[in-house]
Amino acid sequence: MEETITYTFSKEHTHCDEIFAKAENSVAKKQWTVADTEFNDFHTAMEKHFTAEEEILFSAFEERTGQTMGPTQMMRMEHQQMRQIFAQMQTSLAERDDEQYLGLSETLLMLMQQHNMKEEQMLYPMIDQVFGAEATSILERIRAI
Amino acid sequence: MNTANLALQQTPPLSVPIRFFITAPLFGILASLLLIYIGPDIFSSRWGLNILALTHLFTLGFVSMIMFGAILQLLPVVAGTIIPKPVLTSSIIHILLTVGSLSLTSGFIFGQDFLLRIAIVLLGLSFFSFVAIVGYCLIQVKGNIIIGMRLALLALLITAGLGIGLVVRFAYGITLPLAMILANIHLTWGLVGWVGLLIIAIAYQVVPMFQITPQYNTKLMRWLIPILFLVLLLWTLAYLWLENNKLVGWISILIGLGLAVFGAKTLHLQIKRLRKIPDVTLNFWRVGAVGLLLSIILWITGIIWTELANQPFYPLLLFILFVGGFVLMVIQGMLYKIVPFLVWLHLQNQQLNPLRTVNMIRIPHMKQIISPKSAQRQFWVYLIALFCSILTLQFPNLIYLTGIILLVAFILLEYNLLKALKLYRSVLISIQ
Repeated sequence: MEETITYTFSKEHTHCDEIFAKAENSVAKKQWTVADTEFNDFHTAMEKHFTAEEEILFSAFEERTGQTMGPTQMMRMEHQQMRQIFAQMQTSLAERDDEQYLGLSETLLMLMQQHNMKEEQMLYPMIDQVFGAEATSILERIRAI
Repeated sequence: MNTANLALQQTPPLSVPIRFFITAPLFGILASLLLIYIGPDIFSSRWGLNILALTHLFTLGFVSMIMFGAILQLLPVVAGTIIPKPVLTSSIIHILLTVGSLSLTSGFIFGQDFLLRIAIVLLGLSFFSFVAIVGYCLIQVKGNIIIGMRLALLALLITAGLGIGLVVRFAYGITLPLAMILANIHLTWGLVGWVGLLIIAIAYQVVPMFQITPQYNTKLMRWLIPILFLVLLLWTLAYLWLENNKLVGWISILIGLGLAVFGAKTLHLQIKRLRKIPDVTLNFWRVGAVGLLLSIILWITGIIWTELANQPFYPLLLFILFVGGFVLMVIQGMLYKIVPFLVWLHLQNQQLNPLRTVNMIRIPHMKQIISPKSAQRQFWVYLIALFCSILTLQFPNLIYLTGIILLVAFILLEYNLLKALKLYRSVLISIQ
């Protein structure tokens, strides 16, 4: 099967969702040491995904279409919003404040999921359409980082 | 162009969906009061005008009201589009729907033809403009949820068309042929077509999203809604042509089975969820799926064992289980995610707008906007009201108690929503 941007990036979303849920479950059970590791894994995976999008995928799309103020701009802004919540979550984790963490994680989940929905249903298919078979070389560049 | 403005353009202003959401519980309150007012007489006739008023307070004033708001909010996320002039358009549609629902139901209660005539115009305008505008926004996009939304809108058109035809009968004293059959077709398209298909389409998105469950099966997402729509069409033609023939009953069993697949699959996915923390929306959705399955079992049993279907309590129990146990459950569950998130999102967007932000403050998170405790409390009160309403079928005098508990449930819902809105205003003031 030909590798598409939509398939590969959607799979990363699923992976991040899984670690997100693990960390949240651990915080709810107040298993703080485990939660520290899991949150860290989640945070790293998200940052890696964002970087791949912002530095390679979105830039390539913007360069090809000349659209820098379009949907990719919107996605970049939502990444910033999520980064703000990551920072707050990190603080609440350090303070062992489960109530605060769970309220933030609830908010992050909604923000993240509607963001993913827009990417998976609109932006990624659009990028696949623009690049066609070239998608493979973009994915190789992403793997190289 | 600054990024904050772009973000604001992407999601409609908070007032667009919220006006629908905070109006709906008021109709729930009216419905509860009407229930208390009617009292045990409710069981005297199926088509009593008071029952018509009561059912429409729920289906138009509560269910359709929230569905309209939710669709307007969902459009940017699922279709990447936003309705033209969102505030103006939504306020017109909202006023038409609100006043239209009030005049229809009060027309039924007070037997006033002119109120019904007003309702025909207002509701007609509201539904047709809503379908036209949203339908237009959905033209360019593809996907399973989009197909589901389009078919649900088509079902809304059929429901509204038939409904208007049926009200013309009352308002102008015109006798319609097959009035009873048309009424059954109207309510089936309304409940299964418009509301049912829309809930299924939205569930494809939100069930995996809220609880991090696996996705619904791809084939199911592709085929269930179109098949249900086609079976509904087939059932309608058979019913019009053959009336109460056995075949019509068998076709409607297919509709029930299709919905049952959805209910069972939803429960199954929720068992496999990765997110195990307590969640009020999950409670609403689980009870909702069970309510759906119970209503289908009752429906199919009534077709096979016609003696049951002839009992006076049968249609009422069916309505309680399907609307009260399924539709109202999942809708309220959804509100507890959508409203706190929207309040947060709009405050966050305001904060990011450098032209309007003066003070950077910490935006309250979703669980501070509506506390899980108060949402949970409202869930239990509503659940008790549901049980009481079922018991009322056996003990008619319980209707007063049912009415009061239901009233409390809707007041608490409205209180939770208004409190979120109040917090929004106060935080907004401290930002600016």
